[in-house]
This record gives sequence, C-alpha cells and structure tokens, in this order.
Amino acid sequence: MLYQATHKTTYSYEQPVAHCLSEARLTPRSLPSQRLLTTRLEVHPEPAVVELRQDYFGNQVSAFSVFRPHEKLIATATSIVEVTQRAAEILPDVSWEQAQHFLKTHTDDGAMTAYEFVFDSPFVAASEALAAYARPTFTPGRPLAEAVQELSHRINKEFQYRPKSTSIEVALAEVLHRRQGVCQDFAHVMIGALRSFHLAARYVSGYLRSGSDVTGAEASHAWVSAFIPSYGWLDLDPTNDVIPSDGHITLAWGRDYGDVTPVKGIALGGGVQKVDVEVNVRPVIAE
Amino acid sequence: MNQVRVEKHNITAAATRSQHWHYTPPHSFWDEAVRPSGMPRRHWRQLAVALGRMGEDELTRRWHAGQHLIQAHGITYNVYGDAQGMERPWSLDPIPLVIDHAEWASLESALMQRATLLNHILTDLYGEQKLIAQRQFPAALLFANPHFLRPCHRIHPPNGVFLHSYAADLARSPDGRWWVISDRTQAPSGVGYALENRLVSARTLPSAFDQCHVRPLNRFLEQSRDAMLGMAPNARNNPRVVLLTPGPNNETYFEQSFLARHWGFPLVEGADLTVRDNRVFLKTLSGLEPVDLVLRRMDDAFCDPLELRGDSLLGIPGFTQAVRQGNVAVANALGSGLLETSTHMAFLPGLCRQILGEELRLPSVATWWCGDDGPRGYVLENLESLVIKPAFPQPGRNPEFPSYMNAAARQDLIRRIEADPEQFVAQEQIPLSTAPVRTDEGLHPRHIVMRMFAAWDGKSYSVMPGGLTRVSTEGSSPVVSMQMGGGSKDTWVLGQAGEEAPAAVLTRQDAAAPARIELPSRVADHLFWLGRYSERVESGVRMVRALLPGLSAEEDYGQAATLESAIQLLFGLGYLEEDISSLSLAQQRWQVGQLLSAMVYDPSRSSGIGRNLQNMRRVAWPLKERLSLDTWRVLQQLDREFSATPSVRGELRVMAQMSLLDRTVVVLSAFSGLLSENTTRGHGWRFIQIGRRMERARQTSDFLLAALVQGPFDVEPAINMLLHIADSSITYRARYFTEFRTEYVLEILLVDEGNPRSIGFQLASLIEYLRGLPGYDQSQNRRSNDPLDCEEPLPLRLAENMLTTLRAASMDGLAQRDADGDLAVLETYLRKLQGHLYDLSELLTAHHFNHLTLTRLTPAH
Repeated sequence: MLYQATHKTTYSYEQPVAHCLSEARLTPRSLPSQRLLTTRLEVHPEPAVVELRQDYFGNQVSAFSVFRPHEKLIATATSIVEVTQRAAEILPDVSWEQAQHFLKTHTDDGAMTAYEFVFDSPFVAASEALAAYARPTFTPGRPLAEAVQELSHRINKEFQYRPKSTSIEVALAEVLHRRQGVCQDFAHVMIGALRSFHLAARYVSGYLRSGSDVTGAEASHAWVSAFIPSYGWLDLDPTNDVIPSDGHITLAWGRDYGDVTPVKGIALGGGVQKVDVEVNVRPVIAE
Repeated sequence: MNQVRVEKHNITAAATRSQHWHYTPPHSFWDEAVRPSGMPRRHWRQLAVALGRMGEDELTRRWHAGQHLIQAHGITYNVYGDAQGMERPWSLDPIPLVIDHAEWASLESALMQRATLLNHILTDLYGEQKLIAQRQFPAALLFANPHFLRPCHRIHPPNGVFLHSYAADLARSPDGRWWVISDRTQAPSGVGYALENRLVSARTLPSAFDQCHVRPLNRFLEQSRDAMLGMAPNARNNPRVVLLTPGPNNETYFEQSFLARHWGFPLVEGADLTVRDNRVFLKTLSGLEPVDLVLRRMDDAFCDPLELRGDSLLGIPGFTQAVRQGNVAVANALGSGLLETSTHMAFLPGLCRQILGEELRLPSVATWWCGDDGPRGYVLENLESLVIKPAFPQPGRNPEFPSYMNAAARQDLIRRIEADPEQFVAQEQIPLSTAPVRTDEGLHPRHIVMRMFAAWDGKSYSVMPGGLTRVSTEGSSPVVSMQMGGGSKDTWVLGQAGEEAPAAVLTRQDAAAPARIELPSRVADHLFWLGRYSERVESGVRMVRALLPGLSAEEDYGQAATLESAIQLLFGLGYLEEDISSLSLAQQRWQVGQLLSAMVYDPSRSSGIGRNLQNMRRVAWPLKERLSLDTWRVLQQLDREFSATPSVRGELRVMAQMSLLDRTVVVLSAFSGLLSENTTRGHGWRFIQIGRRMERARQTSDFLLAALVQGPFDVEPAINMLLHIADSSITYRARYFTEFRTEYVLEILLVDEGNPRSIGFQLASLIEYLRGLPGYDQSQNRRSNDPLDCEEPLPLRLAENMLTTLRAASMDGLAQRDADGDLAVLETYLRKLQGHLYDLSELLTAHHFNHLTLTRLTPAH
C-alpha cells in the first residue's frame, strides 16, 4: 500500500516566544516491510537551524530552532510511504521462560539490542501490579508468541479506550488501576507487563490508516513490539487487537513514549500554550 | 553522602593518659593518631608534641580563632531542607589528619590508576561498548542504569577525557588498609573546602604546620585549571570559560563561588546561557558572548532540558547538540555520572586487569551486585553483615542496614531483592578508623572518611597532595555526612625533610589565559536590585530613626519629629491605615510605637526594614563571588544586628531601637563607602549605583509627597522632619537659618544637584552612570554622519528629559498653594516624576535583563 501521511502540529502561545528549540521524530523509518519515498518537514516561522541526525535507537530526528519572536509555531511533516503486507509467518514456539534466559545469556548484536528493552525506562517500570495483571497469561512453558498475542487481546478487551480531554500524562499505575486510556497507555501497560517478566518490549510510534474499523487514527498512533528469540521483533497493537501489517506506518521506536515523542521542545517565553495535532493518512493510487 | 555502618561500639575516650596528650581511642578500630600502645604514631609525633605542649585551653582558644576566620571568610555549606534555608557555617576541627609521606605516595599512584581506569570504562561504555560484548561489564548494569544518558552515546570528548576531575572517598579498616567506598565522577565537590580548611589550619597551628613540611595544595589547582583551558575547542588561545552552577541553593554553592573567584571564571546559571546555531553563548550586558568551555557543577542529566531530562528546566536547551558538534567543551563530560553507582566496584579488579593489564592498587569496599546469581546467594545468606544499597542511586532511595531490622522487615527486603535483583547492591560495612577531634570535654575519637581528588593535567592524572577529611557527628555514629551535620578536618600530607616546596609562581608559557568576560545580564539585574534594596533599607532606617523621638513625652527634643508630624508622614506613606490624630495622645504613641517597632523587627511586614534586608540578602547571595569579603561582612553584620528582637520593653525598647538604628546607619555607610572607595568603576558597580539612585529619588519623592503635599498647613515640623530624614538639616540651617519655607526645602531636596540626597543629584548621577553602560555612548552609536541615525537608548533619553524638566522648574511655582491651600502644582509634578521613575525601571529591565522563562512545549502526538 502507498500512503501519504500528513502530520500537522500547531502550538499557540498566550505570550510571544523569543526563541524555541525543538526536536521532531516524524520521519518514517526504513524497514523491510516499509519504504520511505519522500518526506518533508515544514516549520513556520522559518527556523534558523534545521539538522537531521539519528538518535540512539536509530530514529531520524529533525532538530530545529526558531530565533524570531512568534506566537504560533506550526510544524507539518508530509511523507509518502510504501508499506507491504507482512506475510503471515509461523511463529516459533520458544517459551517465555526460554526467552528470559536467552536475553540474559546471549551477547550477539540482536540479542544485546533487545536486552536493553528488558529494563525500566522513565515512563515504564516493571511492577508487582503489572506482573499480577499479566500472570494468568504467562502460564509455565507457554510459547512467548502465544502469550504476547493473548496479552494484547486482553488489554484490548479489559481496558476502555477513552481519548483524554487534556494532554497531561497519566501515570502507568493509574492507567492500570482505572483500566482505561489511549493507545499510548495501552502500549505502556503491555510493555510494563512484559518487563515485569524480564522480557523485552519496545514502544513504537506511527500512523494508522484511517477507517471506521480502527481506533486511534485521528492522531499519531502507538503500539508495541515484543522480542521473540529465533524470530525477532513482533509488532502488536493492543488498541486494535491486531498484528500490524500494511495498515500501520512506523515512525520511530524506543523504550517508551519519552524516547520517541513526535514533537517536543523548549521555548523562551510563551506562557500558557495550546497544542493542536492533525494527522491525515490517505492511500495514494500509484500512477 | 557516605553511609558506612560500623559495629555497635560506643567509642568514648577512656580516662587514661598518654604521655603527651589526653587521648585514648578504643581498640576495635584503627586509630589514625595513636598505636594500640597509646603512643602516637611516628608521623603524628610532631603534631602530638605540639598539641601536648599547647594544652587544651590554648587549643580551644585557637579553635575559636579558626571559627572566627571561617566566619570572616564566609565559608558555608547549605543544608537541604533547613528551615533557615541557607548557609550553615563550615565546621572544621582544628586537628588535621596527618598522612605519612610513603603511605601517601602509594595512595596517590592508586588514585591515578583508578581515575585512568574509570575514564577508560566511560570511553568504552559511551563508545564501542566492547566491555559489554566481551562480558567484562554486565550489560544489565549499563542498561538499567538511569545515569546512562543515551543521547550522549558516541559523543567523543576532547582528547578522550571524560573525567576531568575525579574524587574518591576512602575509609580505613581496623587492619590499617584503605578502601574506596565511593567514586565521584560527575562534578566532585570538596577541593574548595579543602583549600579553605588549609588556610584556616595553617593559621591555627602555624609552628606545627611549618615543622611538618606539609605539602602545599595550590599547585594542584593551578595545574588542573591550565589543563582545563587546554580543552577548549579549536585550541583557542583565550578560551571563554564559565562555571555552571545549579544555583545559590545548592549545598556547595560557597565552594562554587570560591572556585569561580579563584580561577577567574564567571559563575553562571543555566538561564545565563543560550544555544544559537549549536554554539553556547553567555547573555551579557553587551550582548551574546560565545563560550568555549563549561565547567559544570550541575548534574549532567539537568544540563539540557531538551535532550536529557524531560522534567527539568534548569539547564541550557540545546546544550547536548552543541557539545556533540564539538563547539563547546564540558568538564566532566556529559554522562560521566554513570560511574557514581557503587555497583561497578564489584567489577573493577577484573576490568583493571583487562584494560590496564595491572592489578587494581586500591581495593573498593567489598561489593556484591545482586543482578548476578552467585553474589545474590551470598548476599541473601549474609544479610546481617552487609549494607544494602540501591544499585543506581536515586533520590529517596537510601541504604538499608539489615542488622538493625526486625524479622518482618528483613523478609520484606529479601522479597524485594528477589523480585528485582538488578536494582540492589550489597557492600561490606567497614568499621571506620578514628582520629582525635577537639570537643569541649577534651580530645575524643571520631570516625573519619577521607576524600582524595585527582584532575587531568593534560597528560595523565595528578592527585591533590591533601584532601577533605570528614568526621562523624557522634562517637558512635555510623554515618559521615556533611549534610547530616558532621565536621571536617584539614589533611596534612607530610613532605620529606629537606624537600623544597615548589615555587609559588608557576611558569605558564604554554598555558592559555581565559578571556575576560562581560558582566552576565542576570548578575547586572541582581546588582541593580542590590542597589535598590540597600537604599530601601537605609531610607527605612533613617525614617524610623527620625520618627522615634516623637514617641517621647518630652516636648523639647531638638530637631526631632513631633508625634503629630510623624503620624502625618506615616499616614501619608500608607503605613498607617487611618489618621489617628483624633485618638488620645497615649493611644497615638502606642500605635506609632507598635508600627515603628514592627518596621524594624518584623520581617513579614511589607516594606519594613526587616523585609528589605531579607530581599537584599536574597539578591546578594548569588553575587557572592563578585562582592568583596569586606562587603560580604557588612551584609552579614546587618543580618546579625537584625536577627534578634530585643527583650526589653517600653522606654528601654525605644532606646534599644535607637541604638540599633544608629549602628545600622554606620554599617550602611560602610557599605556605600566600600562601593565608592573600593570598587572598580565597571558595569557592575554602575548597576548598583543606578539602583541606589533610582530608589533614593523614589523615596525622597515619597517623603516630599507625604510630608508636604498631604501634610498639614503648618510646614515647620514637617520640614524639620524631612530634613532630618534626608540628613540635610545642617545644609538647610547654614543657608536659611530657622526660616521654614516650602520653596527652601524644595531647593535643597529637589533641585540642588550638589546635595547627594536631592532628587536632582540622583537624576544627574543616573545619567552619568547610564552613559557609561555599553551601547550608551553616543559616539559609538553613530554609524554614519546622519544625525537621525543617532538614537540614544530609551532609558537615557527618559532620564535626560526628567532632569531637563527639573532644571526648568521654578521653586516658587512648585511651592504655590491653590485656593484651598493645597500644593497642587507640586503634587502633579511629583506624581509625574514617580511615574517616570517607574517607567525608567521598566525600560532598564526590558533593555538589559531578560526576564523570560523557559516553557516546555507540551509533547505532541
């Protein structure tokens, strides 16, 4: 499938901002199942400096600074991406206990990269409560691939999707307790549950093809990737209870939301601010 | 903070006598000074003899002299969460810790080795990570460590030096061996305190100091400074260097200001710096000045709110990228806090063999990381003898001592360790050695921990020949921590007899000199307010002092204010909410007395003297390294004078107030004297003066309005009082004898530019000071011959307008009363003047000080 994704972020300030430094992670990653054709980031007012670099996790970062006074900042990223359907593969029957052991003992590149995602990160720490939630799924000897799919399914069924009226972050414990949240929270719960079993899971930010059958397409979307030995990373979208295929466009991954925030920044001045995000993903008919 | 548990011994001195001095430590610990036989160790003999001869009384006398010196130098330590909030005087025992020459030599080489090793480890972990791939360093230790700053991965510091300065805390066990109990790799503190300790101890025990050939400390500081200058990017000859502080509330702010002054680098906060085009700039009065090297005393994660820590706005947004691009150097490198955990200690012997090919010379305290199965088993079986610490220190997570726990608490600890083993590390409890400390009951043994310092010298690491020795509070206390009220000692490293002290003056042909840096805007802002508040204090003191005699029932009190005029003034100024002249005399006296007393003593009273003193102190504190010691002493004396409410009542209380105010006027004059006689005419000085002049103009206009315009028709007592407050009675009488006329007092207090208390004088001085500021010189502003291209800065234009208007005013006109007998013309004029003063302050603020604060953009999905 060929998509054009447009992601527009608008900050409006109560008082003028003298200058502002920002980072955007809005460039889709290049993957075996995903090809980036074009990408463009437009910022108003025009930034004095724009720099591209890769972060620790290999995500493309566009850092930009605006040095003229402004009351509104608009960043619009437009990308054309081709996503191929991932063939339904036979998943290995490595048990979750074996996976635990594998992560701890293997030091080849892939395993080491995965091992990093076993540990607590600023927004997602393992906890007894998360382990307790996941325990019914992690029965002894159960294949990890099966367990993660069930976990994703359970979160989808047992948590209520409720778009937030404010953008204030809700602590993971609170999300777990209230059993509701948005895609970001669903992903955090699942990652936290896996980490509580010393398993590797990462946070993926991206877009979702719009449609009446999916949840979370109006803004950028988030899901989970779990590491399965002798397979690799398996994406799971607990918000929609699916294994992402050609309807999901991957922007960036990290340990949690904080590593891959699509747009963040620090402004001098500004006072009270309002932020608006519009995401539009539409299929492009190839000519 | 080092928390090292010792066995539950109570170490108190026994009553036996040694030959030279009364000091008998218990046998269960190593004592630094005496052998188990009670005889002083060889390297302590000279000191022991000197102390024995001196006797306790003399030692106490000298200790007091030392305490006095500490006060005079303003050496302080901030204690977090202290109600006083601030500065606790530095606590120094007069008896130094003496270390033998040979023993020091081995510690020195061991510390150099350790610094080198830690630097290698940082280089690898922030680079290739071979140690991880080869399993020399457990991956979990890196990945689970919150101090591993991922954005700093693959940033290469200049010359590969991550650790520019390094410190280690050492403890000595009962068998006499030294152990490292913690590594300081982030921004080690203590060098400045060690230097101050030396200054005091060399003066407290001068002859013993000379006899012992104590090795000097200065050279170390000079060396490390030169090496730091050499780090600046592009090998600049005159690098611009700043010392970055978390701010005046930081526990070691004193030391930061001390080092800034010692090295001659400006002390800056995050808000003073800004990043443009990936370069770091300092915001100064003359604009943005590029910075080449940042010495940080701020924890690395706080240095950049954009890339490093998402929940802080302390640092400099964009700093990491500037460092990454190599446009600015930072010492220690960002990310070096990684090795402040004690967990890595368990792996150092192996890493040392692997990396340096040699044995680790100085052992760490035995450490077991619970993330490894074997060690975890040992820890769980030997809990009682261990201290359990979080593997990665975080605020609010403290060491735990299982030997002090009940069964349930111990079970809970075991459960927590088993649930999350990577998060725990166990260490052996070293019974700390003891050293003699002077107390009011004679010499007593106390536990000690010694901090040693190493710094990169351009080729390898040099070790400071001395250290900061810290002492436990109580004889039995297991905790040695300045935060918890422990004391300190100087550390005397003995030189060999005949060893010449190195020349005091170093030849530094190769070393770069730091560039002179303009006044940071924030500092100018603080200086401006220091000027304003000091003038507010003075004007308050002068007013209360003029009004107090009015409280006396005696009618004939010379030139003093009458009760009636005092009430008029206080009412006019808004201090009294209603006119109380209809009350009985006794009630009037009582109310005015209460009010004046509150103005002097009650810091919660807005615009009282106490409140303004607090404000003065608040703005002066961050200026510490810029004010002379004498100026600082004046401020401290003001604080002391006003710190206690007198216990006396009634008439005596008025007298006590009077004498306090008299003293204060003298102290404040010392402040102005220091400013005018001992301060270079730089921009900093100009800003204090601008603040003072503006405030005095404002206060004088307030008094004129309250006493004359809103005052009674009978001007004599009002004029009398005004002249008294403004210290202008003598001038007035010399000119006008005893004729009291409004136009005369206006002549003196408003227009006479020769009277340093008149508004005219303030405006003329303001213009002079403003013209001295960068960007105010008209000849420089003129870019072409076009006269229209010559714009004067707005503050100067406004001040000049004010003076022109004043000069043009006629006193007879201003003193004219309208049909109702009111001084309407004067009122209009004074209100307008006050409006302009307010505008001037706003213009200056907008022009010179940036008051914008950082805002975090809401992370957007």
